[in-house]
Amino acid sequence: MIITILKKDLRLYFSDKKGILITFLLPIIMITLFAFAFGGVGKKKSAPKPLGVLVVDKDATTASQELIAKLNTMQTIRLIPSEEEKALDLVRKGKNVAVLIFEKGFSDAVAADAALPIELKYDAARDIQMRIVHTVLKEGFRYHLGKINVINNVKLKTTSLIKESSTKAHPGLVQAVGGTAIMMLLFSIAAIGGGLLDEKDAGTLKRLLIAPVKPLHILLAKMGTAMVVSILQLTTMFVFSWLAFGLPIFMDTFSLIVLILCISFAVSSFGVFLVSTVKTRQQLQGMSTIIIILMSAIGGSMIPISMMPVFMQNIAVISVNYWGIEGFFDIFWRQLPLIAILPKMGILLAIGLGMTLVSTVLFKKNIIAIE
Amino acid sequence: MIQVQNLSKSFQNVQAVNDISFTIKKGEIFGFLGPNGAGKSTTLNMMSTILKSDTGTIHIDGKNSIENSKECKHLIGVVPQEISLYEDLSAYDNLLFWGDLYGIPSKILKERIHTTLELIGLLDRKKDLIKTYSGGMKRRINIAAALLHHPKVLFMDEPTVGIDPQSRNHIFEVIETLNKQGITIVYTTHYMEEVERLCDRIAIIDSGKIIAQGTQSQLKELVQTKESIQFEFDFLSEANVNQLRKLLSYTMTQNKNKLLVESTVKELSNVITACNELQLSIKDIQLNKVNLEAIFLNLTGKQLRD
Repeated sequence: MIITILKKDLRLYFSDKKGILITFLLPIIMITLFAFAFGGVGKKKSAPKPLGVLVVDKDATTASQELIAKLNTMQTIRLIPSEEEKALDLVRKGKNVAVLIFEKGFSDAVAADAALPIELKYDAARDIQMRIVHTVLKEGFRYHLGKINVINNVKLKTTSLIKESSTKAHPGLVQAVGGTAIMMLLFSIAAIGGGLLDEKDAGTLKRLLIAPVKPLHILLAKMGTAMVVSILQLTTMFVFSWLAFGLPIFMDTFSLIVLILCISFAVSSFGVFLVSTVKTRQQLQGMSTIIIILMSAIGGSMIPISMMPVFMQNIAVISVNYWGIEGFFDIFWRQLPLIAILPKMGILLAIGLGMTLVSTVLFKKNIIAIE
Repeated sequence: MIQVQNLSKSFQNVQAVNDISFTIKKGEIFGFLGPNGAGKSTTLNMMSTILKSDTGTIHIDGKNSIENSKECKHLIGVVPQEISLYEDLSAYDNLLFWGDLYGIPSKILKERIHTTLELIGLLDRKKDLIKTYSGGMKRRINIAAALLHHPKVLFMDEPTVGIDPQSRNHIFEVIETLNKQGITIVYTTHYMEEVERLCDRIAIIDSGKIIAQGTQSQLKELVQTKESIQFEFDFLSEANVNQLRKLLSYTMTQNKNKLLVESTVKELSNVITACNELQLSIKDIQLNKVNLEAIFLNLTGKQLRD
């Protein structure tokens, strides 16, 4: 009897293709992603893309130029010459992990076996990358300077460009709150979008179509609902993070509000897009689980973007999570002005707009087709 | 009120509606009778403007349903086959929502909701959530939601599916009241009793085609079968039958103690009087009416509920 029931259950289970995808394919993809991020997979076959470190040579002597050229032969880092102000700005905006500055008197210090006037200014939000850069540069100095006394004087001074303070959030907290908030929001909004399918099943969608209501209005109304819930959910999560963990949400309230609105729009349109691509609740459940988990993993909700290999960082830009999390870092960590965050907000709006347009076409084809 | 000309609709390889034409007069109750899958709901969906036909035209009150779909939507009310209501809202809130979609001013809408709830007999339950209602009560609210914008035509797609006889009768009374108020009603069903009770004219539809249409008496004329009454006696001899034949002019067929008399119900009293004269003890009487079921069977060779 047990065998009979077991056989029936297995038969039913394996007849559900989406269930099989979630059971087998999704974990395989997740393992692959985490393996690339944490396990060093792919590093044996080819060398990883070097980390770009800006270099400002104020000394501009043969000694400093020769050393920069020698350091550039290392595989792990790539030194990019830059002007000081520009370099500092790029690091502050999170574009580069650090800037290495050769102060005037570097060659004299080398000649005199004195302490070297060099400094590494970095973005503490990219802590792991910074540690790699610091270690590699120290070893590079020791190896390439060649003079015993000088080697003893290599003390690479490091300075975080963005100081942690009582008015600023810890980058780990920004990552945790921002990443989790967007991922959970995607799940909530997919469920709200699914309400359209419930209306289809219940017949209320048909009744809406019979009334003098345009199909587009139905879609936009559903998206509006999702957006209101998104705003409320994100606000609640940030207020909670402020109360529980001291996240400084009033640091730049206006930018935070604008970013929440942009994320809510993008996520709401994503929810409506998901619903428009399917015909049943079961299809939605399967598809939304796979897409949201993948998007969150790639987009930085589960693993900080800086820990991912370069090719994955390049893929991350297709996700709402990536732009949202980066926006939160800009506000809470980098403390950039609104004007500097606007491009990221613009991309979120563009993603939302694109998905809304595609959804309107798919909605007519998949959801409101009456038979 | 409604003119349908050469209407056709197919889904992939299935011809759901095949070149049908009919006219519905103002103020009548027009019935669509046919088995499940005959094409009734597809026709109604096209008339409701939510489904485009492949060919043919529909005019409602002189307006083309495609070219003037917005105006037509205001002319028609549709009672869908499904209970198309929000279960977690009260009856009142449901009606407020559906009425609002037609742009009815708030004050007028509230008055109409009151009147409509009174009409369907659920005014005292208006604050209750739909999910607490019985099937019959939900069906009545389903009708009410289609009435708030005062449509000239009401399309009702099997509005009594799955409810008890008492609720069904209540719905019939509502329909008759609405019709008396001047609303033209298009009623689809596969229950011939409903059509017989309610409809002035009937279209019998099968496999996407209208196979007959007209009043009930016009449809009855289409078939050869006649009405008859079957009597069962305690004892019936051949002599008794011959005596009855002298008294009555109807065709009679004897089968042991049973006698089939080809007469209408109206003439039943004549037969009973003759039997009493001959002191024949009647044990049972069965009326064999020519109904729509018989007409459908005669025209298609199929049962309505096949």
